[in-house]
Amino acid sequence: MAEELKDEVVEALEAVEEFEEDGQKGMFMTFQTGKEYYGISISYVNEIITMQPITAIPEVENYIKGLINLRGKIIPVIDVRARFKMEPQEYTDRNCIIVIDVKSTVIGLIVEKIAEVDSILEDDIMPPPALSHKNTERNKYIYGLARTGNTVKLLLEPERLIQQDVLNVIEDIKEKEQS
Amino acid sequence: MKILLAEDDFASRKFMDKQLSRYGECDVMVDGEEAVDAFMMALEDDEPYDLACLDVMMPVMDGYQVLKAIRNIEKQKKIPKDKCVKVVMTTALNEERNVKMAFDLGCEAYVGKPIDVEKFEKVLKKLDLI
Amino acid sequence: MAEEYNTDTDSMLSVYLYENGQLLEKLEGIILEKQDEECFDDSDINEIFRIMHTIKGSSGIMMFENITKVAHKLEDVFYYLRESHPDDVPHMELVEKVLDVSDFITGEIEKIKEGDEPDGDESKLLEELDEFLSRIKGEIKKQGIRLPKTNKSEEPAQFYVAPVAEADSHFYKIVIHYKNDTQMSNIRAYSATYALKEIAEDLLYSPDDILSNEASSDTILAEGFHMILQTKTGKDDVLNLIGSCETEEIDFEEITAEDFGREVVNLGRDDLDPVAEPEHDSPAPKEEKKAAPAPGDYVVKTKAAGKGKTLAKNQPKQQTIISVNVEKMDALMDLIGELVIAEAVVLQNPDLKVPGLELGNFQKASAQLSKITTELQEVIMSMRMMPLTNTFQKMKRIVFDASRKLGKDIELEVIGENTEVDKNIIEHISDPLMHLVRNSVDHGIEEDVEDRKAYGKPEKGKITLEAKNEGGKVYICVKDDGKGLNKEKLFDKAMANGLIDSSKEITDFQDKEIYRFITLPGFSTKEQVTELSGRGVGMDVVVKNIQDIGGRLDIESVEHEGSEMTLIIPLTLAIINGIVVQVENSLFVIETASIKEFVRVSEDSLIQEPGGEEYLVLRGECYSFIRLNERYHLSDAHEKIDDGIVVVLEHEGTQVCVLIDKLLQEQEIVVKPIPPYVKKVKGLSGCTQLGDGSIALILDIGGLILSEERR
Repeated sequence: MAEELKDEVVEALEAVEEFEEDGQKGMFMTFQTGKEYYGISISYVNEIITMQPITAIPEVENYIKGLINLRGKIIPVIDVRARFKMEPQEYTDRNCIIVIDVKSTVIGLIVEKIAEVDSILEDDIMPPPALSHKNTERNKYIYGLARTGNTVKLLLEPERLIQQDVLNVIEDIKEKEQS
Repeated sequence: MKILLAEDDFASRKFMDKQLSRYGECDVMVDGEEAVDAFMMALEDDEPYDLACLDVMMPVMDGYQVLKAIRNIEKQKKIPKDKCVKVVMTTALNEERNVKMAFDLGCEAYVGKPIDVEKFEKVLKKLDLI
Repeated sequence: MAEEYNTDTDSMLSVYLYENGQLLEKLEGIILEKQDEECFDDSDINEIFRIMHTIKGSSGIMMFENITKVAHKLEDVFYYLRESHPDDVPHMELVEKVLDVSDFITGEIEKIKEGDEPDGDESKLLEELDEFLSRIKGEIKKQGIRLPKTNKSEEPAQFYVAPVAEADSHFYKIVIHYKNDTQMSNIRAYSATYALKEIAEDLLYSPDDILSNEASSDTILAEGFHMILQTKTGKDDVLNLIGSCETEEIDFEEITAEDFGREVVNLGRDDLDPVAEPEHDSPAPKEEKKAAPAPGDYVVKTKAAGKGKTLAKNQPKQQTIISVNVEKMDALMDLIGELVIAEAVVLQNPDLKVPGLELGNFQKASAQLSKITTELQEVIMSMRMMPLTNTFQKMKRIVFDASRKLGKDIELEVIGENTEVDKNIIEHISDPLMHLVRNSVDHGIEEDVEDRKAYGKPEKGKITLEAKNEGGKVYICVKDDGKGLNKEKLFDKAMANGLIDSSKEITDFQDKEIYRFITLPGFSTKEQVTELSGRGVGMDVVVKNIQDIGGRLDIESVEHEGSEMTLIIPLTLAIINGIVVQVENSLFVIETASIKEFVRVSEDSLIQEPGGEEYLVLRGECYSFIRLNERYHLSDAHEKIDDGIVVVLEHEGTQVCVLIDKLLQEQEIVVKPIPPYVKKVKGLSGCTQLGDGSIALILDIGGLILSEERR
């Protein structure tokens, strides 16, 4: 199992490297969380690592799982499932951490399974349906849908994904007032 | 204006010659001793130099020695201060102690190499040479 | 023309910058010290005159004309003061003039340091000084004192021209290969060098005897003709000059200045490097390195005139003080941090825990290693420590400027300016401190002297700036004897700005809590925005900056007596001594200095209030009690106090007991910030990597107590 995963990761990474050579536009790292496939532009992706021991930080949003030690550099990791307000699931050794760098903020995303690197044409990206009532939490972070092969991939906007919720900031202020 | 240029390095010599020739007649020497000889000769002919540009690192006598010699000759001949030749040292040795020594020996200007042509010209203006 | 001054290589320039910086600092020191006196005394006037004279002289030599002119003018002013001792010189105005001049020169010097041309416009300043001078002269005449002779100033007679920055010089390594049947390749090589001499700043070649030795043509054919060239000309032009006639191949490579220096040595096989290797029969004055150079030291000792010279770069340099790039220091600091972690990885390696291992020698060796790493840390720490003198000096200036602008008479007392703090911290506290000082001048000290008299205070306001070093922390205190903070006003203001819940009453808050309102974003009690402070942003930024470096702000105030703002900051950011403790599955680090004791207590010394708050009675004293696992929701299990260990912590006089599960070890902890993405967690000041690679969170005792108090 673990071996297989390693192979997958290596393959995915090789793919990243390959594509890095010829421009990064339209290249997406895709992964699975829940039933859906998601894509994130590989220009944000630093590396993919296997699950690490995570040090929890108290009193933070539940989707921030804690800190990991990435070769001496301490970075926060967030759980994509929790971020989408989905039911938590035990981590297995299929879980992976995608290390992304968004405007110099380096963060790990815990995902259930790495799929592959996909090339998605600009024309194949459709805006997300405007009137979607379900899964509103998740839809906040999605800027487009793309069909490749026989799956639809939800393309994530990493900046929004890692943004602290406005609500939290408000709570913060309230808290200060009370004190 | 009559100019004495002492410079052993060919490239620098050519460059300086070209620069200085714009301001006047330029005699070019390749070592320190020649420079002092030329200076003496000019004095004897009563056609003293107005400006001397001395490199520091030269064969036989270095620029400091030449400077010292020139000033001594002038002193001995009782040449009034305003008639003394204006000496500009040109060298890559621009450590503070080198500069200070040159000033103590009585040079008018110390120009680091590579030469800043604009400022060099400014100095000549300040020295009332051009 | 944007000229560049290469302060690294031009020692004249760096001496100029250094000396004038010192002089300006001294000048400002004198001025600020004497600002409150009636006038400058003779020795000050002499000193200022001397400083200006020196600056004028050296700037003249360096040909920075605007600085020269300004310094000259001020020198003139002081010349008259020195010669005529006029009375009734408007002292304050004079002080301002001197500061204006010092600001101007400082600004220009900054430009030079940045590599720009000092191009500030001096004319306005000169006009003002002229006007001032003529007034003084008028005053002198009125008093019937004979005007002294005009300060005859000699235009500097000596000039120094800094070399143009070598940064725009290129360095090339060129190898020309001629076709095998080329006739007289040595002559062709010569014409190439001849052409290059037009543009060369430096040129060396090998073989070097191409004209005198015909056999050299064989060498050239066999090995190629090697040249190294320093020039401002670009590659294409250089190639054009060399020409392509009969050449088979030209290897062309741009190299760095350092490589160039190395190549010079390589190529200068025999006598090409005469200064570095003086001939043995010559009395080599170079060997006396300490001696000043003398005429004759730089004679090029080669037989043939006009042959090669050595680059100044190869001159031996002797210096006892070196300046180091801060980035390199930081890199070294980081590396030492990594080393400390690596040391822990080795010394606490699980492999060592195999029972029955004979570790005697290992222990001895590791003790030695630990000793060295500790010393290494101390050394790098001491290298980074800087006194607060300069920062405080700036504050003097701020108080002076601000009080002048507001028309307040304020005295500044400075205590403990020699206190040393980590350089990084100095950088971080300068702005907050400036803000606090301005606040004191602006909001603290009363505008109306009568208000002060009414409360029996002297007319002159007083601000005290004090620094002290206590228990691994630095306290920097800004105290004023002004009107103090008005609790009602603060409360109303906070209410009006919607910063507090409208259902609260003023009595719900303690004094300190009310004072803390001023640190909330969007709070400013000053009705009008003034030029100095009161833009509504400020105190919250101050607090944020201080928190960023692990410090905090303490506010004390008594209405009508004054306020006291204290910055409490760690001595250093980087490495602390800590004890690693375990709570549930989490690891925490507690700074050793704040630990009073460890005790085991039984359930019956615990008092539980109906509200759920717990207290611990220890030897008759009552302490607040924190269960870390509950505090951080690590587990719901209500743990028995008997099983754990109680740590008694002290922070600025407040003591608190914390319950933990297990003590692990004491070790040096390299403090790393919690990634900024994670919002600030109360009671945590950072994190660290332990020997086994796991991460522990560092407890911030002050924050812990604070958040406990607020509950």
